[in-house]
Amino acid sequence: MSLQDPEYLWALVLLPLLWWLSRPPAPRRRLLTAHFPQWQSAMRAQRRRAPRGSFLRFVLLAIAMVGAVFAAAGVQTAPTPGPDRLVVLLDASRSMAAQRDGVSAFARARAALLARLAAVPAHVEVVLLRCGGDLRRRYGESARQLTDLGEPGGALAVDLAELAESLRDARTQVWVYTDGQGQVRLPKYGALDVYDARGDNVSIVDVRLEDGWPLPELQIAVDLVVHAAADADVAVVVRGAIEGEQERRVVTWRDSQVITVNLGLRRAAIGGDVELRAVLADDVLCGDDVRVLRLPPLPAPRIAVLADSDAGPFAPVAAEALADEVKGHVVPATAGGEVGLLIVDGGVAELEPGSARAITFGARLAGQLDPEPWLAPAGIDWDREHVLTRGLDLSELQVDRAWRGVLPDGQPILWSEEGGLRAPLAVLSQGDGVASIHFAFRLQDSNLPLLAAFPQLLRRGFVRSYDAAASLTIEGAAPPAGELDLRYAQLATSRPGSAFGQPTRSLARWFVAAGLLALGFRAFMR
Amino acid sequence: MARRDLLPKPEEPFSDAFCSLLPSLLATRQRIDAGVAERLRARQAVLSQSGTFVGHRRYERGDDLRHLDWSAYARTGELFTKQLEEDDRRAVTVALDLSASMLVGSPQRRVGALRLAAVIGGLALARLDGVTVVTPGATCPVARFVGVAQLPALLEHLRSLPVVDVEPAAVTALVLSFDTVGRLHWVSDFAPPQDFERPLRALRRRGAKVTGWLPTVSDDDAPPSGGYLRVVDPETDREVSVPVDRALHDELRRQLALLERQQRQMFSEVGAPLLRWAFAARPVDAPELADHLPIVAACAR
Repeated sequence: MSLQDPEYLWALVLLPLLWWLSRPPAPRRRLLTAHFPQWQSAMRAQRRRAPRGSFLRFVLLAIAMVGAVFAAAGVQTAPTPGPDRLVVLLDASRSMAAQRDGVSAFARARAALLARLAAVPAHVEVVLLRCGGDLRRRYGESARQLTDLGEPGGALAVDLAELAESLRDARTQVWVYTDGQGQVRLPKYGALDVYDARGDNVSIVDVRLEDGWPLPELQIAVDLVVHAAADADVAVVVRGAIEGEQERRVVTWRDSQVITVNLGLRRAAIGGDVELRAVLADDVLCGDDVRVLRLPPLPAPRIAVLADSDAGPFAPVAAEALADEVKGHVVPATAGGEVGLLIVDGGVAELEPGSARAITFGARLAGQLDPEPWLAPAGIDWDREHVLTRGLDLSELQVDRAWRGVLPDGQPILWSEEGGLRAPLAVLSQGDGVASIHFAFRLQDSNLPLLAAFPQLLRRGFVRSYDAAASLTIEGAAPPAGELDLRYAQLATSRPGSAFGQPTRSLARWFVAAGLLALGFRAFMR
Repeated sequence: MARRDLLPKPEEPFSDAFCSLLPSLLATRQRIDAGVAERLRARQAVLSQSGTFVGHRRYERGDDLRHLDWSAYARTGELFTKQLEEDDRRAVTVALDLSASMLVGSPQRRVGALRLAAVIGGLALARLDGVTVVTPGATCPVARFVGVAQLPALLEHLRSLPVVDVEPAAVTALVLSFDTVGRLHWVSDFAPPQDFERPLRALRRRGAKVTGWLPTVSDDDAPPSGGYLRVVDPETDREVSVPVDRALHDELRRQLALLERQQRQMFSEVGAPLLRWAFAARPVDAPELADHLPIVAACAR
């Protein structure tokens, strides 16, 4: 038992004062008498008692005072030495998702940890580190409740043994929960729980695509790694938004080597999900066996042309060529008609930039003033990194006449550079899921239609005008290399942690209660 | 044992006024009573003529006429008897209670007791053969004075008596050890009375004539009527704190009256008088002759 503020004990010197105050009042007058027995007889007859102090009443008052003094002095129990901080290292790497009897190692570790944390004293500061994948830290009650730990995934990028050793000190106890997979050694100190999750595993490590959009052809190359016993039956199953709905390809087993499976598929026109699954009997880790392709629906490539009367034949011819390439057809441009792409060559186009799928060549947009002619812009250059112009050769491009002020705001992809100043000749105007491409010159005022890059530029413009609607996404990331082979792991017998220290516990309220109890008894004491 | 440091100091018993009053008091003509046996023995002693002259005393009826000092009669016109040393048979004995309880009252009861002893002793010196002062516990527990010339010595002896607590039986033991007792004048507060019953009976069995003298103070019949008091017994040092109200005052008066009856009954049973002398009826510094005449009258009976 110790005291926080022992200087309050000086108040105990007031006990003699308390004793003096608790005595009955002393008579101020003293009377010598030879008739003391007569006084006593008279008092007995009148049932009088001399006022006198009660030692028990004083003791109760003294107890109350001592209780108050000790409570003010902060009396407390002596602390028990031991750690008062707990760091939990929870292995949440992808291998912890390996299941045994239908329960993952991570779930078992989580349940065990939750039960053990419930017995941790409230004064212990708990820190939980999720090791593996994205590092997450949880403190206090959040750590005790294992709030928002997510699912296991990613690589275990730390050496748990070294981390536990670095955290170890007199005040800190370390608990480690791991499957031992990917570890050179296990922690020697602190509590340790190892969950055996060894077993065969097959993983899709990479998926490569060759998308024929807007055509239905889709070439898929799936890279597998099989860590299993010899002659294991391995297959790749594709199912979902493809023609025939499902395709199965048996793979020849090669232990721990990358196996590439090429699949030529035709996607369904309505789009949807395509699941790629590697199948292995007794696979303990199913999470890395699946990839999902999200395919957008194929477009209906209806191409319309608006050309000025003196625009020449380039635009219709280009539309025909594009329609032939994307298996579409050219339709007349009518008011209110729905088309997949509008090609405008010269004249005035009543459309908002970035709000319609369109490619305009020297066309004046709605609301624009009469453009200013720009004769033979020099220093023509292009963005070599842009998705529209990457890899194209536009060095032979010559423009006889362009128009200033016909281009809306957008991302320049082609420009004229004179005197160190860039003046855009073509811009990409990006809208919400829709994009339009605008050139500052008509086709007939340049040699662009004659360039070899023009069909490709036109096709890219068509795809780009669909923006995200033409994008194919692959769900599922490549598993970390260290989390593939689950047949080997460091195993050890689980061991409990040491006992935590006990902090000082205030006894002030007990002393106050004792004081109040003493005063309560004193109220009934005569 | 009483705590002497808490007791009040004994007051001066013999003020100048009292000392100047005393000769006129002794000059009263009343006859002083002595014991019957002593009178007879005194008459027989007339036949013996030996002895050393130690002084004069007034002539009393029955004295040997041969001892009359006619020369003194011629000078003063008063009859004086020559007193010889062996002729102290016509004596009285005064027993004084020197206990601390005699210090109560204002003036103290002890003052009244010493003045009583002085008056009785003075009368015995002036008219009888002498007086014996018995004070158990004192340095000189038995002091004998003969002749009126020893009156100053008697007063000085009384003034020098200490405060000492002794049992009443000690008085009896001392008195009964004398060959002659004469009349015993016992001056005390006689409280508690049961302590005095056996000594008084012992004196009665031995034929002593006892007169009890109780100098009264206001505490004897008029206790305090109010206040918060610490009442202390000076002999035993016992004390009690008590708030006094009207009911307790009345009860206390009843108890004191009962005490007085007990004392009176105790002396009646042994055939002795108990005389209460209210010496503090007027200021002790201004004593009146009339206040002391009852003493002389009582001694003459």
